[in-house]
Amino acid sequence: MAKAEPSSEVSASTSPGSRPAIEAKNIGRRYGDVAAVDDFSFGVAPGEFFALLGPNGAGKSTLLHMLTTIIPPTSGTGSVMGFDIVKESSEVRWTLGMVFQDPAVDDRLTARENLHIHAVLYGIPRKQRSEAIDRAIEWASLTETGKRRVATFSGGMKRRLELARALMHGPRVLFLDEPTIGLDPQGRRNLWERISTLRSEGMTVFMTTHNLPEAEACDRVGIMDRGKLVEVGPPHELIEKHGGSENANLEDVFINLTGRQLRDEVATARDRLVSFGKKGGEHTR
Amino acid sequence: MTDDVIGRAPSSAPVTIHRARGAIVPSVVFVMWRRELLRFARDRSQIFGALSRTILWLIILGYGLGVALREVEGYPYAVYVLPGVIVLNVLYASLQSAISLVWDKNVGLLREVLVSPAPVLSVTLGKLFGGATVAVIQGSIPLLFLPIVTTDVEYRDVGFGEQVGDWLEGFGEALADIAVIDIFAAWGVMFLLGVTMTSLGVFIASRMRTFEGFGAISNGVIQPLYFLSGSIFPLRGAVGGTGFSQIPAELRVELRRVGVRVASGMWFVTLPWWLQALVFANPVSYVLDLLRYILLDFEQLPLWADYTVTFTLPLLAVVVAAFAMRRMLRPR
Repeated sequence: MAKAEPSSEVSASTSPGSRPAIEAKNIGRRYGDVAAVDDFSFGVAPGEFFALLGPNGAGKSTLLHMLTTIIPPTSGTGSVMGFDIVKESSEVRWTLGMVFQDPAVDDRLTARENLHIHAVLYGIPRKQRSEAIDRAIEWASLTETGKRRVATFSGGMKRRLELARALMHGPRVLFLDEPTIGLDPQGRRNLWERISTLRSEGMTVFMTTHNLPEAEACDRVGIMDRGKLVEVGPPHELIEKHGGSENANLEDVFINLTGRQLRDEVATARDRLVSFGKKGGEHTR
Repeated sequence: MTDDVIGRAPSSAPVTIHRARGAIVPSVVFVMWRRELLRFARDRSQIFGALSRTILWLIILGYGLGVALREVEGYPYAVYVLPGVIVLNVLYASLQSAISLVWDKNVGLLREVLVSPAPVLSVTLGKLFGGATVAVIQGSIPLLFLPIVTTDVEYRDVGFGEQVGDWLEGFGEALADIAVIDIFAAWGVMFLLGVTMTSLGVFIASRMRTFEGFGAISNGVIQPLYFLSGSIFPLRGAVGGTGFSQIPAELRVELRRVGVRVASGMWFVTLPWWLQALVFANPVSYVLDLLRYILLDFEQLPLWADYTVTFTLPLLAVVVAAFAMRRMLRPR
């Protein structure tokens, strides 16, 4: 994996001249007294590959959900491809592709049926649907298994399916929430190669990750902690600035900036549901 | 894993997107409806549940208690409970379909719907119509038993073969008695109740953060609605049969004091006032009453009330469900 040239046009906030693909200005989201995201400003240039790092509970998911219009910000503004995430949220929705942290697929449906739902939701005309589905299936290397129920798929297959699905409607910005989590090294490598091909095709990619080698391969990295942007820049610059030693890596930067303290979180509603399901929960799936 | 060549991304091929405006996009409604049906078709436990409920309530309770009660307003007990069992299946099917949203929004496909530009109302309608269609399918299982329970056979002291012959003859007559139009009307009522109950389920699901079993819904929502709808006991009316004619006069007086009038071998029963109030307050009672009127030509409540509740409730329910889905899909 070659490290890409750092893009110099876009600074931490906005840069005059070029319109950023993703932009946030003093964006914030409060839950009662707690600020999950606090006065956060940054920009991602078109075609840039941006990774957001941060410990658990840093506010990465909240930021991602605001940028993808799932939840509205309580302060500040944001835009995707120039569309305001609040006022023009449906434009934003058509412009972006999203892959969630864990599979957002219907296990009882086949891969093709899942893709068909996506095609309809995004208004791909009837005549083009089956071709679009074929293309996605082929790209995800699921030609043999396209008519099998997703319940029989491995984690890697589901992730490929979701990535292909997120691309079906021709998005210009891709949001990935910890895309390689839970995959074996082969699956991780394969998915990463797919993401890299997108990059060479000019796609803007914004991802959150805990995998530091992957983040090092990105154009720029933002480090987030306690709802705030702690540092942002190309990986090598961050390592020079905050690494501390000669052969430091991004992990050292991360620990130096966010501390060694463990970030234990209580189980979310989703965690509890998943564990209930794993125990053989009834009438659920 | 084989080393596969990664081709050009699906996003690089030109797709024209048809950006539908407006809250109701028929293709979205249809695809969400179809999804519900596919999910149902691939879950054998749901069909098994519907079958076992029908056998327990209609056959086991219907014939078991029917021996003691004999008749309700002249209808054999198994016939009397049949519309109630249809309603029970509709309640289960609709609520199960709706409660699956809790799972769906946390770990399922709903999050994909969440970031899509599809209008919430279309997604909601697809869900409601899907749940209601599954409810009609499950409600049709007891309906299949209608000719069996309405088969009227006079007992004759003849050989087994002839008894079977008598029964088959009675079955033929019962089958011929069923009007096709009534079946369609019954499906219509089931569908409307299905929409209402799926909406109720959507509302409940939107308030549930996590899910640890369907038991609470079953015991806390379905069973009260079922038991308090006059499904297994009449509000008032003649219960019994010819065998009750030898009741002594003193016992008649005593029975009258507790609300049971006995005349010509029948018991006339009235529910205690508080139980009556609960049955009247339960909207399902009216829908069930209409269903019983369609299938058995027998009603216990004013028909105008039955029609009003059956037709207006789904409309209100859709509005409630749409707001609940909005709350789930577009949090503030």
